[in-house]
Amino acid sequence: MLSLYGAGIGKGIAIGRAFIVNRPEFDIPQYSLREEEVDAEVDRFQAAIDATRDQLRQIESDIPHDAPPESKSFIDAYLLMLQDPLIAEQPVETIREQHCNAEWALSRHSESLVNAFDQMQDEYLREKKNDVRQITNRVQHNLLKIPQHQLEAGMEQLENRVVISHELSPADTVQFKNQKILAFVTDLGGPISHTAILARSLNIPAVLGLHGATRYVQHNELVIVDGKRGTIVVDPDDGVLAKYRERRQFVFKRKQQLGELKDSLPLTRDGQKIILLANVELPEDLEAAQRSNAQGVGLYRTEYLFMNRAEPPSEQEQFRAYSKVVSRMGAPVTIRTLDLGADKQVDGGRGEAPTNPALGLRAVRLCLREPALFRPQLRAVLRASALGPTQIMIPMVSSLNELDQVLDMIAETKEELRHDGEKFDDKVPIGGMVEVPAAAVAADLFAHKLDFLSIGTNDLIQYTLAIDRIDDAVNYLYDPLHPSVLRLIKLTIDAGASAGIPVTMCGEMAGDARYTKLLLGLGLRIFSMDSVSLLEVKKKVLEADLRILPDKINEIMQLADSNTIRDRVVALEDL
Amino acid sequence: MIKQNIRVSNKLGLHARAATKLVREASAYECEILLRREGQQVDAKSIMGIMMLAASEGTELEIVLNGTDEKLALDSILDLFEKRFGEEE
Repeated sequence: MLSLYGAGIGKGIAIGRAFIVNRPEFDIPQYSLREEEVDAEVDRFQAAIDATRDQLRQIESDIPHDAPPESKSFIDAYLLMLQDPLIAEQPVETIREQHCNAEWALSRHSESLVNAFDQMQDEYLREKKNDVRQITNRVQHNLLKIPQHQLEAGMEQLENRVVISHELSPADTVQFKNQKILAFVTDLGGPISHTAILARSLNIPAVLGLHGATRYVQHNELVIVDGKRGTIVVDPDDGVLAKYRERRQFVFKRKQQLGELKDSLPLTRDGQKIILLANVELPEDLEAAQRSNAQGVGLYRTEYLFMNRAEPPSEQEQFRAYSKVVSRMGAPVTIRTLDLGADKQVDGGRGEAPTNPALGLRAVRLCLREPALFRPQLRAVLRASALGPTQIMIPMVSSLNELDQVLDMIAETKEELRHDGEKFDDKVPIGGMVEVPAAAVAADLFAHKLDFLSIGTNDLIQYTLAIDRIDDAVNYLYDPLHPSVLRLIKLTIDAGASAGIPVTMCGEMAGDARYTKLLLGLGLRIFSMDSVSLLEVKKKVLEADLRILPDKINEIMQLADSNTIRDRVVALEDL
Repeated sequence: MIKQNIRVSNKLGLHARAATKLVREASAYECEILLRREGQQVDAKSIMGIMMLAASEGTELEIVLNGTDEKLALDSILDLFEKRFGEEE
């Protein structure tokens, strides 16, 4: 028995026999040709290009009709790249000029293409290097007469198997779409790879980036894949197997029960409408949000666009990302402006590291200091607002003066866009995140200037209790049920109500079903959370009764001791 | 041989979709079609070449055509640019 760890996708557990899908490894041979061999070599190269084209067309025609349209466009793009003179013609010139073999000529050109794409500023273009690699590898396989992978023999072998591979390309994953695969395990790849997206869309567990998976697992060996913990157990002993079977059954039942709630409206027992929204980071998260029937996006984090790169993304790149989310969601999307600093530093952060980043130049403070960073984002967000209901959310507001500056800047940006003839929603609601105690205490003052408030509990708790959650020495003091935290939440909700503006909560507390009834009793009506938690929270909403809860909560608000509060919050479950 | 300046006026620039359309159109003609930008020169029949130009909205390009059907090719390519590659506003 052997346990291995990687990045877990999906919450389920799969138990099945391994099917190793190995793209056979190959070395690129290098040899010289005699003058009279050159024509035949060129023919051999062109035959390999033709064979690759036929294989891709075959894959294309095998795509099931109900597959997402992106599947087909992946293959279309591959076909076009395959016919590109840089891949289909230039190696021929190299073969003729240098009398070298086709594999060598192709690999020289593909390497220089990969390098050229790798140096592009634009993230989208940089990613094209993988496409180049995958296409030219397909041609190499045909040149060397080695199969693309053993599956050419027949995909149905994959039914009820755990697919284990070094990595999977979009063309592979398209082919896997209509097989009844139990789980994926790969050596490479992470939570935003094609394989992860595929696993999510098939609703099966996966463990990715598990280096060495293809080395340690034998074909046909029994494997347990635990998506939630990101582990696989190879050749488990009977005790472990029994335990996992039990857990699989439990997870399955629970999923089934929650699944039944998917289409029911989030109404409390006394008929009050509650709104459940999704937090989204990558455009790919949208699919999960829609699958769980989220009524909109309450927090679209934009930091991922800015991370792991030297230069910030252009207005256009940002516009592309935001407009995709806004137009696909078909329900209101709240875009949070850049929240960098503190635990999320941009690459090549300028200057010295601040002594206390959480209290330093971060989020909106950083944005006001660096208009060159902030303005393109505001322009991109406003332009996206022309394509569907959009809200702008400002993180970490702490002073009214600062808020005025942001509002002025948004007004100026609108003026600029009007001047440029760009479309946007002039009435786009602007909200602020309440995550600094100063904003919660004076929430009424902020509420008058804003269209909505959103409580960010993670930072609010950290700032209120002066605790760094990642500091092991103090994190035991991190307590969402501390009376001070509860009071600040209540102050904010009440301030919103008296100003007549909506109050949302988008921190982790909103997605923690243990606190749903407490928050409902405090007056919260809009919850935004990771899509995976949505059905569990909905279950609590359906059980809640707002004719009883507020009184119970008022009693809890009088209590001083966190442990007593915790017991009383747990007792709310039995109401 | 004809040379002419053109400006990328569609919002998304010569990225994936517009590049694809341009390559399909250019490939329909016999003549050689090159795009130039600040010393960089690529084949308009090469999807990867065009992507490597990274021409975003507002970029000025020079198009150079050489061959018997160069006039026809220029007209249809100019038309594509003017219609912003069919992108919605």
